[in-house]
Amino acid sequence: MSLTVDAARIHELLDVLVAAAAGDYDVRLKLRENDDALLDVETGVNFLLDELIERRLHNEAQEEELLTRARRLARQRDELMQALSTPVITVWPGVLTLPLVGRVDDERAAAITAGLLARVGAERASHVILDLTGVGALTDGTMPAILRMVRAIGLLGATCLLTGIRPDVAQQLIALGGADVHVRALARLSDALASVLADKGLLQGT
Amino acid sequence: MPFFFEEAVTPQGKPLLRIHAREEVTLADAEALGARLDGPNKGWLVLSIVDRGTEYAPAARKYFPNLQHKYGALAAVVTSPIVRAAINMMTRLTGQAPNLRLFTTEDEALAWLDAMKI
Repeated sequence: MSLTVDAARIHELLDVLVAAAAGDYDVRLKLRENDDALLDVETGVNFLLDELIERRLHNEAQEEELLTRARRLARQRDELMQALSTPVITVWPGVLTLPLVGRVDDERAAAITAGLLARVGAERASHVILDLTGVGALTDGTMPAILRMVRAIGLLGATCLLTGIRPDVAQQLIALGGADVHVRALARLSDALASVLADKGLLQGT
Repeated sequence: MPFFFEEAVTPQGKPLLRIHAREEVTLADAEALGARLDGPNKGWLVLSIVDRGTEYAPAARKYFPNLQHKYGALAAVVTSPIVRAAINMMTRLTGQAPNLRLFTTEDEALAWLDAMKI
């Protein structure tokens, strides 16, 4: 089959193919009523460009969906981490325990305080035991944050007890004026719980 | 509406679904055609008069292969080379379009439909 076509149509076809190869799928060949085989090719190129646009839109939609899913998973992970990092446990009706584990920076301390105060209010807690046994590195803001937590608990009418204080932590507490805060310090969590139960008159022989 | 439907008969008196197509055919239009072909008279002889300037949206093009088993024979009367090229391309994409032929005049199309053993 021989075909004689205007060179301008070939140039236009090549221009569109070059644009498409560069990622521009919005270009289209201008179709004219030429009753020849090249018109089939030109139509096919335009169809192909339509398809490329459809697939690009589909891919973009899928990418957006994946991003949304990733963001949701990240949020769920953060919420889980948050929950795991502030395991407030009701060890007795009205008695809450919060074992602090790991590094406590300002951001985490603020989140812990918010969660703990909410529980104190919700459970009308009379006592809160903060166990510092598992607290590792203390940043500059950690002890002030813990002291603010203690004061806030006091403002809600609950008594705060600190347990598991290491010698270096104790020195920091004194330096920061922690001695002025009305807080009872005991060696172990079990000591604190025994003390609270004794206060409540629930421990025999005390 | 790009599709206008009319029930008619061929010169030999066979029932015929006559379609007049124009402007841009969307997926909704193509589905409407599918619903029409799904009616009680399955295996329609179809005569489609396709105006110059008729275009087919990409989604409609993809839907058309679903219609193949719904008609007995389809004769399209096309005078525009551009429209003919579009239908040719759709036919190629479909792979096979049995009992579909393009004509330039209505008389030729009707004669072909009448000759179909359906």
